[in-house]
Amino acid sequence: MIAAQAAPPQSGRPFSVGLLFQLEPGWHVYWQNAGDSGQPPTIQWSLPPGFRVGAIAWPTPTRLGKGSVIDYGYESQVLLIAPINAPASRKLDPADALEIGADVKYLICREICVPARAHATLSLPLSGDTAKRAARWRSLFAQTESQIPKRLPSDWKVVARSNAGNFVLSVRAAVPAAQASFFPLDQNVVENSAPQSFVPAKTGFQLTLKKSDLLAKPIAALRGVLVLGSGRAYEIAAPVI
Amino acid sequence: MKRHFAASLTAIVLLVLATSLAWAARVGDPAPNFTATDTNGQIHKLSDYAGKFVVLEWHNRGCPYTQKHYDSGNMENLQREWTGRGVIWLTVISSAPGKQGFVTASDENAYVKQVNAAPTAVLLDPTGLLGHLYDAKTTPHMFIINPQGTLIYNGAIDDRPTADRSDINGAKNYVSAALEQALAGKPVTTPTTRPYGCSVKYPD
Repeated sequence: MIAAQAAPPQSGRPFSVGLLFQLEPGWHVYWQNAGDSGQPPTIQWSLPPGFRVGAIAWPTPTRLGKGSVIDYGYESQVLLIAPINAPASRKLDPADALEIGADVKYLICREICVPARAHATLSLPLSGDTAKRAARWRSLFAQTESQIPKRLPSDWKVVARSNAGNFVLSVRAAVPAAQASFFPLDQNVVENSAPQSFVPAKTGFQLTLKKSDLLAKPIAALRGVLVLGSGRAYEIAAPVI
Repeated sequence: MKRHFAASLTAIVLLVLATSLAWAARVGDPAPNFTATDTNGQIHKLSDYAGKFVVLEWHNRGCPYTQKHYDSGNMENLQREWTGRGVIWLTVISSAPGKQGFVTASDENAYVKQVNAAPTAVLLDPTGLLGHLYDAKTTPHMFIINPQGTLIYNGAIDDRPTADRSDINGAKNYVSAALEQALAGKPVTTPTTRPYGCSVKYPD
């Protein structure tokens, strides 16, 4: 596991760092909503004064497990990217290096689970050859960025109708979809292990999601990631009506 | 002849359990009745405990989240405190044979003695029927049933979903909070939470 960056930092400009989990076959780590079991990784960054780190851009997860216990996470490898803002007020000296540290707590599971901690560091030279060093990681960053859910196109509309047992997610889309699945961002909202029934419509589709037995009170919006058959993923917050 | 009778009885019990699978366990609904055998060969039915509070605790000693609460003595203390106050505490092991956390009765009895655990009984559920009946997802996963047989709590043991022992101090224990309120005749203010831990190792 290591920290990496995409492009050479400049004063006042954001840049990206990533934390790479490389997992042996069969092992997984978790998405921001771990699902029925498990726990997402937490990262405590240490940065030079004035630098600020933003939230992790979580790539679309996969469904893990079978039967009545379903989790959301990543197998094989995942890069967790976070934006860092370099202070505008400070001139970055090309002779300097940026020291970035990450204290990571994570749970890694196969059949068994092992809680683990790791400390990753990155010493990022600000001189010219940074770009060359970064090139090594460019394709991994680009590939990961393509797996990060996008904002819903403005001409699409989503709404979730609430009935006794289900949320019926209606999506009005500009393009037809052959299949779709939903990953809930919040816990205790939909039953992770329930099949999601997809019904195409003329101008989009409907996805029926079983409510969680743990859903205690009505929710204002159904938040999560909608993945289409094509693999394209969108972040949604569907108003519940 | 006697053997025949025993065999058909088992079949009936399984059938009853299987038909209730679809219900799951919702807070406010009647808790599904069950029949299960403990590590001493005793049979326990939920209906045996009508009139008492019953806690169900899903357990897997190989799971770091379970270890958090056992190695620290937290779970054993809870068991001791609440059974001391008349609550029935049933630890349930739903690991399937060959899966992590599967134990034999004698092995489990030795473990209970070693860690000085104090449940009323440990129920062995290698088929996962009891686990599926309550839709137990994690170890630990906690349920509370009131004296009228209604499920009044379904969820986590506390509000710190980690495997870190240092998180026990200062955590809000949902099980104790719910039992305190229910014993005082008050409604449970947090009746459902998301359980946390390792997945229950059901048969494939």
